[in-house]
Amino acid sequence: MRRSEIRRQLRIRARNIIVQNDRRFFVNIEKKDLKRVIRRLMRMKNYTHLSTITALDTGYNMEVIYHVAFTDALVSVKVQVSKEDPILPSIVEIIPGAALYEREVHDLFGIVFEGNPDLSPLLLPDDWPEDIYPLRKFWSVDKIFSKLGGRR
Amino acid sequence: MSFEIPFGPQHPALEESINFMFEIEEERVVSVKPRLGYVHRGIEKIAESRNYQQLVYLSERICGICSFAHALCYSQAVEQLLGLEVPERARFIRTIVAEMERIQNHYLWLGLTAKEMGFETLFMYAWRDRETIIRMLDMISGKRVHYGMSTIGGVRRDITEPMIKRIEKSLDHLEVRAEYYTKVCTKDPLILRRTVGVGILRPREARALCAVGPTARASGIARDVRADEPYAAYGEVPFRVVTYRGCDVASRTYVRIDEIKESIKIIRYALKNLPEGPIRIKVPTRVPEGEVISRVEAPRGENLHFLKSNGTDKPERWKIRAPTLANLLSLCKMLIGVNLADVPVVIAGIDPCIACAERIAIVDVNMRKLKVWNGEDLWRYANEWYQKRYGR
Repeated sequence: MRRSEIRRQLRIRARNIIVQNDRRFFVNIEKKDLKRVIRRLMRMKNYTHLSTITALDTGYNMEVIYHVAFTDALVSVKVQVSKEDPILPSIVEIIPGAALYEREVHDLFGIVFEGNPDLSPLLLPDDWPEDIYPLRKFWSVDKIFSKLGGRR
Repeated sequence: MSFEIPFGPQHPALEESINFMFEIEEERVVSVKPRLGYVHRGIEKIAESRNYQQLVYLSERICGICSFAHALCYSQAVEQLLGLEVPERARFIRTIVAEMERIQNHYLWLGLTAKEMGFETLFMYAWRDRETIIRMLDMISGKRVHYGMSTIGGVRRDITEPMIKRIEKSLDHLEVRAEYYTKVCTKDPLILRRTVGVGILRPREARALCAVGPTARASGIARDVRADEPYAAYGEVPFRVVTYRGCDVASRTYVRIDEIKESIKIIRYALKNLPEGPIRIKVPTRVPEGEVISRVEAPRGENLHFLKSNGTDKPERWKIRAPTLANLLSLCKMLIGVNLADVPVVIAGIDPCIACAERIAIVDVNMRKLKVWNGEDLWRYANEWYQKRYGR
């Protein structure tokens, strides 16, 4: 796979495509383009599956990365989402296999995927407090413990 | 003359907890809802407070059966960040251990699936043969489960000349056994009745639900990280990606037995062409800033680690995606329409790491009654049902 091929297919600027090596591509996009980009990636040659969805805390924002696997490469689509308004469109209707990954990210980071039919807890207990998102940097292990009223 | 008697299948790792909510109509499953988290240990959170060297050991403890696959995936990620080239001998040893682990895992799976079918003799046979390969792993690494072989910059133990001889001898034995299991699983009418046409996952569904590993390959999709994105020494070792088109539990069995044979060939080739040289190189403790993705074909399917470093000795974020999570939705799809008596076999079919349906709640649509069963009740129900029906 080549940078030019991704640029042509996704119709985005070349500076938004970062080439790490000939098998790893990172693509920065806007929230509103997410569904369009995923749809276009799926139509590209050698597409196999969505590997997973990673979320990470970058300070003011959170970053959600969609790892889309091809037989000859792995394209990681990055979307920024703010902590005040953590809402992203769900891609379940395009790739049904994304359902559990979205639920996992919702559990651990509190990002709401609009359009996902079931965002009930997947990993956390049923009685987990609503405002604790364990993988956000603000919630250190000690803070989580004191909030839950437990000890180490 | 010495006797070897396998003692007890009881093991905590094989009774891990997962909850499925089944909705059934008469005896057919209408809908399934999985619930995870009973064994969630927060490894991704723990990782933020450990340094890279410590995490090698933590990564190995993600899974008790495919421990090497996780350690290898993590080591590769850190090596990518450091820009290291692993010595050639280390790459070959990694391939050998990874394939030995695959054989070990597939025999384990064969045994468990046989047990779910109520075929306990096959269960004993498969686990006895698994012992052979575990002994070899024990000989190389000194450990039976968490081998502690992979590390950042290479492997920790070498494979010597006498070891090669013993491994080759055990491989000959395992090959004969694999042939025998092919015969049993393709000819035995009882196994065929329990597996053929059970738990169907069509290729279109497998693609849409992003299935990985043997689950996808049994639906005719040649998806294998070893072939798509060769790591370790897979680029230099010839092998075949095994696929079957049956889309049922029988195909999943054949894929795994054929993969055992394929793994034996890979190990033989790698042992024969094992290059000379060092097995590891020295690595710095500080890791430069960056983010990498490492992929490995674990025995159960694609394993993905995402690692982001911030220039210190601890990672900023380490994301792990184990193959069972990727196959869980496919499992739910397979279970719909299945007879309740076939549920244990279908669940075993994807080789779930959070194995054995420990707590099962059944909602009878017509009666609106809630029954809660554990894995043993379901197992008993399934085998009695088949006994009544086919008189065995």
